[in-house]
Parts: sequence; structure tokens; C-alpha cells
Amino acid sequence: MNFKIDRIILIMFLGITAALAFLPNFVESEYLLRLITVVIFWIGIAGCWNMMSGYTGYIDFGPVVYFGIGSYVVAIAMTKYGIPFFPSLFISGVISGSVAFLVGIPTLRLKGAYFAIATFAFAEAMKQITLEFDRTFSVSFFQGSDGITLPISGHDNSFFFYCVLPVTFLVMLAHYFIEHSKFGYGLKAIKEAETAAEISGVNTTANKLGAYVSSAFFLGLFGAIEAYWITYITPSDVFNIQKTVQMVIMTLLGGMGTFLGPVIGATFLTLISESLGARFVEYYLIMIGGIIIVAILIMPNGIIGSLKIRKKLRFI
Amino acid sequence: MYTVFAQTIINGLLLGGVYAAYSAGFSLIFGVMGVVNLAHGELIMLGAFTSYWLFAYFNLDPYLSAPFAMVFLFLFGYVVQKYIINRVIGQPHIMSYILTFGLHLMIANIAIKMWTQDFRSITTSYSGANAAIWGLNIPLARLVTFMVALLVTWVLWFFLMRTETGRAIRATAQDKEVARLMGVDIRNIYAITFGLGAAITGLSGSVMSPFVIISPEMGLEYTIIAFCVVVLGGMGYMPGALVGGLVLGVAQSLAATYLNAGVSVAITFIILFIMLVICPKGILGKGSVA
Repeated sequence: MNFKIDRIILIMFLGITAALAFLPNFVESEYLLRLITVVIFWIGIAGCWNMMSGYTGYIDFGPVVYFGIGSYVVAIAMTKYGIPFFPSLFISGVISGSVAFLVGIPTLRLKGAYFAIATFAFAEAMKQITLEFDRTFSVSFFQGSDGITLPISGHDNSFFFYCVLPVTFLVMLAHYFIEHSKFGYGLKAIKEAETAAEISGVNTTANKLGAYVSSAFFLGLFGAIEAYWITYITPSDVFNIQKTVQMVIMTLLGGMGTFLGPVIGATFLTLISESLGARFVEYYLIMIGGIIIVAILIMPNGIIGSLKIRKKLRFI
Repeated sequence: MYTVFAQTIINGLLLGGVYAAYSAGFSLIFGVMGVVNLAHGELIMLGAFTSYWLFAYFNLDPYLSAPFAMVFLFLFGYVVQKYIINRVIGQPHIMSYILTFGLHLMIANIAIKMWTQDFRSITTSYSGANAAIWGLNIPLARLVTFMVALLVTWVLWFFLMRTETGRAIRATAQDKEVARLMGVDIRNIYAITFGLGAAITGLSGSVMSPFVIISPEMGLEYTIIAFCVVVLGGMGYMPGALVGGLVLGVAQSLAATYLNAGVSVAITFIILFIMLVICPKGILGKGSVA
């Protein structure tokens, strides 16, 4: 039973991705294509958070920092060093991952609320440093609150669709790998009982660090893509805590530590904000607050998590 | 030269006193229930608005309206804890963060709907009053807030140590199962604790109202500072909020005078991050570690 569902979902996932690859040929409306790109973009970003926090239970409250680092690396590489977009994109991912490695070693020793606050503090500190660095040292590097304008790409929406789709695909593939590998079992064991996992021979530090660094790598890629897409970045935009909150809420609504959780959560919330956000601007945030409270109280495991428990499924 | 330095330290201490005043409730709530209350700033906002409206309609002095803010926020906190937050106690930490974040969004945005996004302030006869001693300026309203912080910390400490309810709160914080076996009504104690935390936070919002800008969106930045203060002092350790507030206030004040104001914010977060990594129990080493 489980085995069959497992296969069906994998085949469906590959099939949908393949079908999506041809989408820009059929979608006439630029608005629709853009909306679909945004949904896929958020699925990927929520997936990055799920990879780390959903599976290990270590609540990262500053993932946006790697998104922001990605944006700034691509901006600086392209404007200051004249490196083309795709090499810069790769450099963004690598630098984000490396920073995560260095920060992860001391931070991942912390537990519970302390880890959450430390990651949050790191993200806010980075935002302030990019804002104030130039003024304090009288140089022109991050360009503070003036922001950086990237070279105008001149690409249409389908270009960015094809940038976002493969990265999100890789994120989901990483989820599949987590669900079916010793590494992933290690992560789940850390969530259930870290000390017991350690005694049973799970290298908890290496597992946590692996999840943290790969999540940061992908976030760096997304940050870089968004910077090139929007072409103008400021520290308060790319390091905005709202992005963190959105990742967390999407994953939580869908179900933390599940394969389909980020997909469902991100699609649901993006479409809601697209429809309600435009029509009821004044009440939108009140409603989001209400949705969060109700979801936590009646469905703490999220949509997919609840389904998983009710149907006794192992993987979705 | 020395005057500037002394003035910087005084400003820092007074700023720290203000920080301590509004962070004590955050520490109490975390210490007893393990709830990181992301709607903390909204409690301050509600306290400040209570004073604002009483001042606007009845011309009541903010220091006289402070008791009303306390009572109102105690009831508010009691109800919120009893009917909403109590339902996620015992679940993973993340549930309480997200739940209180949802509360933050709702309270702040309902307040915007009711009172608009306007910036408001209360101008009393003593709003800008300074005491000048040896060429140094001491803003009186901040000094009063500092006094209130000291008083609140002391009264709260006394309450927790010497009264029956206080003992029940401490017992619940130490081991809620054993406390339950000893006949403590845990849910009620939680509601009282949150109510108390909200009441002293509302009080601080009320005594701060003569010198801060009051707006429905003011909350989040206060929540963030309260975070820092409580971590520096040691989470869940009451007098820690006072120490953490003073250290943070002086550090920020020095950075703002000798570097620039933006750097002082960066320094806040760098101190917070380093503190957590090196010594999560806080400066005094008496905070609780999860």
C-alpha cells in the first residue's frame, strides 16, 4: 500500500514537472505565467525551510538571510565584476552555502527557542550590516539603503519561469532523497529524540549541518534569481522578515516534514493572497492572522500532516 | 569630553531602564510557560493606547491612567491565554511562536482598522522636562519609567517568592506535572501568569506614553528589543531583564554617540547572536536553557 502510493506520487511529480516545462508554449496570458512562476518560486523557498526545520524540528527564524546573501552576491558580481548571470547565480549559491556552514557550526549546538532567536539575530545583524557598512567605512560596496540596480535583463517572463522551475525541482528532489535515505532518517530521528539518535550512532551534527547548508545553498539561488528578476534590491527588501514568516506559515499550513507540505501550503497561500489581497486590502492581514490561529488550533500538523496521520501513510 | 561620555552613559542607563520595564513581562511568560510571545509589542501598544484615549477624552494624566491599563491588560491577557494559547501548551515550541505571531498580525491590524496608522503622542506639561545636574541632562519621564521598572521587578519578585499564587507559579514553572499532582490548577495558573505579564507590560506602555510615538504598528520593534534584553539577562530569570536592559541600553547609547545610530542596531543583534552562541544562560548565567 505504502509502496504503491510512494511510486504513484513520484511518477506524478516527475510527470507534472515535465508537463510544466512546456507550459510557457501554451499559456497566452503573461499574468497567468507570472502567477504560476511566483507559485513555483514560493514552493521552492518554503521547501528550503522545510528541508531544514520541517525535518529536524530546529526552527530556523532567519532563513531569509541566505536569500538576501544570494541577492547581494549576484548583484555585486554582475555590477562590480561584470560576471554574467549564470556563473554569478552559481557563485551566489556557493557563498550562501559557505556562510551557512560557518554560521551553522556554532549555532546548531543551540536548541529550541535559542536556535530560533540566534538565527533571527543573525539575519537582522546581516541586514543592518549591509545597510550601514558603506557609511561606517566610507566605501561604496553594498550601497546601503540606496540599493543596487542590476543590469536590466531584457528577458521575458518565460526566462524566469525556466530559471525557477529547475531549482524548485531540485529542492523537491532533495525532499525525495531525504524521505528515502539514511541521511533523511537521521534528520527525522533528530526531531523525535536527538540524544537517542546520537546514542544510536547518528552523526547528528553532520546531519543537521548538511540540511542547513543545502537549504542555504538553494535559498541563495532563489535570492539571486529574484534579484535579477526585479533588478533593484535594497537590504530592507531582500532581508525582510516577512519572507521568513511566509516560508514558515506556508510549510506549517501544508505540513512540516512532509514531501507535499510546502507544495500545498505555498500554492494555497499564494493563491489566497492573490485573490483576497487585491480585493480586501484592508482586511487581508487580519484574515491571514485569523487563518494562522485557526490552523494552529484545529490542524497543528498541517493539511498533509493530518492526512498522513489519518490514512497512516509513511510518505507523501 | 567627559561630559559627553557621562551624558552618553546616563542616556544609556535611562534607555536601559525603559527596556527593562517593558521586557520583564516577556521574561515572566517565557520562564513559566516556555512561550516566546511574539505579540508582546502589541501589549505595550494597547497599554499606550489606553493612556492615549483616557488622555484625549478625559484629560487624564498618563501616570494616573496606568492602573486602568494594568487592569485592562490583565483581563485581556487572562482571556487570551485561557482560551487560545493554553491549547498549544505542551506542543512543540514552534506552535506557540506561530500562534502568537498570528495574534500579533490580528491585534496590530485590527488596531490599524480602528485607530488608523496615524502617529500619535501625548504632550503633558512634563513631557520634555529635564533635570540639569552638573551640566548633565536627565529627562524626567524616562527617569520615572526607570523607577517603575525597578519597582515592578521588585514587586514581581516579592509576589513570586512570598505569596501562595506566586509559589504555585514557580512550582508550575519547575515541573508542571508534579505541580498538578499537588493540586495546582495549571490552566488557571497559566492564565494568571500571562495576565500578570500582560499587566506589567501594559503598565510600561502606559508610563512610556508621554515620550514615545504611539501607533498601532509600534509593536514589532518592541518585541524584538524585548527578545534581546531577555536573552542578555537570561531567559526566565526576572532580575535578568533589568541587567540585560541596562547593558543593552548603555551599549546602544555608546554606539550611537561614537559611531552612528544605524550601527547601534547592528551591534544589538551582533551582541545577541554572540551571547547566544557563547553563553545562552545570559550575563548572570541564571537563565533557563531549553
